[in-house]
Amino acid sequence: MAELPNLIPAIPELLLAASALVLLLFGAFRGDTSTRTISWATVGVMALAAVFIISGPSDGVQTFAGMFVADGFGVFMKLLILLGSGLTIILSLGYLRDHGMERFEYPILILLATLGMMMMVAAADLISLYVGLELQSLSLYVLASFRRDSERSTEAGLKYFVLGALASGILLYGASLVYGFTGSTNFDAIAANIAAQEHGASVGVLFGLAFLTAGLAFKVAAVPFHMWTPDVYEGAPTPVTAFFSVAPKIAAFALFVRVMMGPFGGLAADWSQIIVVLSATSMVLGAFAAIGQRNIKRMMAYSSIGLIGFALMGLAAATPEGIQGLILYMTLYLAMNIGAWAIILNMRRGSSLVENIDDLSGLAKNQPMMAAAMAIFMFSLAGIPPLAGFFAKFYVLLAALDAGLYTLAVIGVLSAVVGSFYYLRIIKLMYFDEPAEKFTAPTREVGLIITAAAVFTLLFFLFPAPFVAEAELAANALFR
Amino acid sequence: MADLWANYIVPGLWILLQVLVVVVPLLIAVAYFTWFERKVMAAMHLRMGPNVVGPWGLLQPFADAVKMFVKETILPTSANKIVFLIAPVLTFVLALVAWAVIPFGEGLVVSDINVGILYLFAISSLGVYGIIMAGWASNSRYAFLGALRSAAQMVSYEVSIGFVMITVLMVVGSLNLSDIVMAQQKVWFVIPLLPMAVVFFISALAETNRVPFDLPEAESELVAGYQVEYSAMTFGLLFMGENANLILMSGLTVILFLGGWLPPLDIAPFTWIPGPIWFLSKIVVMLFVFIWIRATFPRYRYDQLMRLGWKVFLPLSMFWVVLTGGVLIAFDLVP
Amino acid sequence: MIIQTIAFYVFAAFVVGSAFMVISARNPVHSVLFLILAFFNSAGLFVLLGAEFLAMILVIVYVGAVAVLFLFVVMMLDINFVRLREGFLQYLPIGASVGLLLLVEMILVVGVLATSPDTVAVAAAPTPDITVVSNTEALGALLYTKYVYLFQSAGLILLVAMIGAIVLAHRVRPGVRKQSISAQVSRTRAEGVELKKVKTGDGI
Repeated sequence: MAELPNLIPAIPELLLAASALVLLLFGAFRGDTSTRTISWATVGVMALAAVFIISGPSDGVQTFAGMFVADGFGVFMKLLILLGSGLTIILSLGYLRDHGMERFEYPILILLATLGMMMMVAAADLISLYVGLELQSLSLYVLASFRRDSERSTEAGLKYFVLGALASGILLYGASLVYGFTGSTNFDAIAANIAAQEHGASVGVLFGLAFLTAGLAFKVAAVPFHMWTPDVYEGAPTPVTAFFSVAPKIAAFALFVRVMMGPFGGLAADWSQIIVVLSATSMVLGAFAAIGQRNIKRMMAYSSIGLIGFALMGLAAATPEGIQGLILYMTLYLAMNIGAWAIILNMRRGSSLVENIDDLSGLAKNQPMMAAAMAIFMFSLAGIPPLAGFFAKFYVLLAALDAGLYTLAVIGVLSAVVGSFYYLRIIKLMYFDEPAEKFTAPTREVGLIITAAAVFTLLFFLFPAPFVAEAELAANALFR
Repeated sequence: MADLWANYIVPGLWILLQVLVVVVPLLIAVAYFTWFERKVMAAMHLRMGPNVVGPWGLLQPFADAVKMFVKETILPTSANKIVFLIAPVLTFVLALVAWAVIPFGEGLVVSDINVGILYLFAISSLGVYGIIMAGWASNSRYAFLGALRSAAQMVSYEVSIGFVMITVLMVVGSLNLSDIVMAQQKVWFVIPLLPMAVVFFISALAETNRVPFDLPEAESELVAGYQVEYSAMTFGLLFMGENANLILMSGLTVILFLGGWLPPLDIAPFTWIPGPIWFLSKIVVMLFVFIWIRATFPRYRYDQLMRLGWKVFLPLSMFWVVLTGGVLIAFDLVP
Repeated sequence: MIIQTIAFYVFAAFVVGSAFMVISARNPVHSVLFLILAFFNSAGLFVLLGAEFLAMILVIVYVGAVAVLFLFVVMMLDINFVRLREGFLQYLPIGASVGLLLLVEMILVVGVLATSPDTVAVAAAPTPDITVVSNTEALGALLYTKYVYLFQSAGLILLVAMIGAIVLAHRVRPGVRKQSISAQVSRTRAEGVELKKVKTGDGI
């Protein structure tokens, strides 16, 4: 009889998997009326998983034959992911009820997607990376077309599926090349093999790395692999879009960082150039393409592409400071984005959602509190000090400058200036234009989330130290 | 030259001989199974059954065979000719090749491969193609409907058959059919695994499209299902393939649950009878049960059939796989 | 050995030939049937490699289950595949260039393998020696120990695929009468039968 593998580092994942199965059974017997119960149960399970993550090991212990790792970086990223997923489930409740989409599979799919993301973050092997990624992506494809009677939703799902499958194929092709030339799928073994090569990595490994990067860039939606983002963001049901813009982005970034800094850390000089190009193009395209958008979901899609470009800047630096900046960036990004999406989810008249930017006009006169919150998020996204968004950009820019990426930093600053145009336009619409029709008042949970996110964004500058320290700890876990 | 003889031709001829020793009696058995079926059914209906050709109608199968051979093979004009002709051949050949791994006695097997049970499962899962191809190529509604019914039915029941096989091979610890039989020396598996034996037997009925699951060829609603356009020897091949499959399934039930060639008790009067005789007589008993069921049960409705397969047998067999595994681990019985 | 060689070429020729027929056959049903032939012959190749477990699983899973459903769908859907193919040539340049790109890369990779033989040395050895244990046992011993995490995760992925299929495609149609066995069985006599006293000569 073989010994059981060490299950302790994987307790949060096991908890999520087991509870997904239990809740699925519960839903299958109770029917769609149990959606609310299951949603809250899912949130509870996620909170419990967060407790286990915090109290669990974070010293880089590996298990399952070196396929799974629990380190400081993973702990931090998993907490962010759980927070993002949990909040989106709460945000979705009202939307699901209003649109007759109360199906119990919805929270369970989010739960399974979250599980996939946590597996991605904890991956220490190319195969477990792929398996986690696939679990996440497959759940997301289904979620994107969850509103199956809407043509746009199904189109979004199909588009996402086809392009996502292509990206997975590219990633797998890269992984197979890496495996073929290093003889292992394990991250440590790959790193050791690359380090052992006398005259640099072989062509095969570099090719594999390029393909892997392309696949991962697709998952984080960096230019030129961003084509799917605006359509999917626009077509998918709004709470699903909110989910897409937060948790999967963080997970994909964590994966990106782990793959680049882990097995291929020794090749930083080679891949850094690719990341620089991805980062610069994403920032520029994000800034310029968002200007012409009329639909707020599309605008947020381009805005997220631009923000991704900024985060990639931290990765391009390939230094502990850069990664620390990136982690901090993702944390603040989570807060700002959740808040902004909570408000977008609340742009409803009666029970139907409106999505045009013009619908926000005069919000300050109708609902001053909501307008103030939105203004905070928009200022923050634009990077106006002293809001959280400024610090996010500040840390990555600093890291880029430290690493000598001056051109990239300049491009970043310029595109941030261009980008602030469309963020400020929303503020102008809300405060200086004729009021449009009033929105329905937000539910208690949504109001609470908006308030919390706004307060956090506004007051982050008073207490950045614990976050900076935690991010530093997490980043250093990758550089041991 | 001598090398060629020693290495290729002699072994080749030996294999050919073995194949003939299995196939020729099998074909005769298939022929006499029809006689057996008619006689048993007749007895249950208080009729006489075939009694004109030869003593007790014993030559009836040969009369039928001659009739099949001399009749004209009709190819429907709108049929897809090649597929139409391949289908019966495929059915028939598959029913024969499966016998390659069936052990008739200790060491009495054409090919003793170590994934024997998987081989049988694979062959039986191919069987559905003969039916689908026949139904589709006939280009007739009855035939097509029958083929679709049958394909859905066979695929559904194959799942639970697979789980039953997994249970058995967990207990045995081998995929080899001879090993499975030898593992039943102490007790036949029908006793410890009775629910699985029942599931297997009923699934075997469905897999072979027998009453009460004969919806694909239900003569009262679909004329004869996928066989409706076939005539003469093409029909003969389909018919023989089907019956050979039935005998195969009986054989498989005997091997998996009824101890194969082993006597019921390992004591004197039973052990005098050689293994193959035991094996064959058990098959005859199984065939009798098949016929008995045909004579007594009405046909299932299609939704009931699917419900039984997916909602009753599948969970039950999955549960037994888990239970068996748990028991084996708990009492440290893992082979 | 000569028998094995002949068998290999027969199987290989059938695989390639039927794979070609899959994409060139006019009738979609024929395409699927050729696909099945290709699967079957690849199973033969597996047997020649000594991987009899994989061979059987290939036949059981792909031929016995996947291709049946495939055939089902192709037969039921009345798609005009000839019209679907009309755009085939239009995409040829893109397809060909992607294929060419992959080919160039493959040549590059194989070239590197050929020029630097030390990369071959890092390839992982088959974990349990296949001469000692049967390949069914070897597979099981690896799948349920070293790769148990991936095995279970793959199971979860399949579960998500199943949930997805049900969520997106299953509809509860109103007005469909279904058999409810529990309702049938739990019916009492009082619900089914009503006794009325009918007066003589009055009728009902």
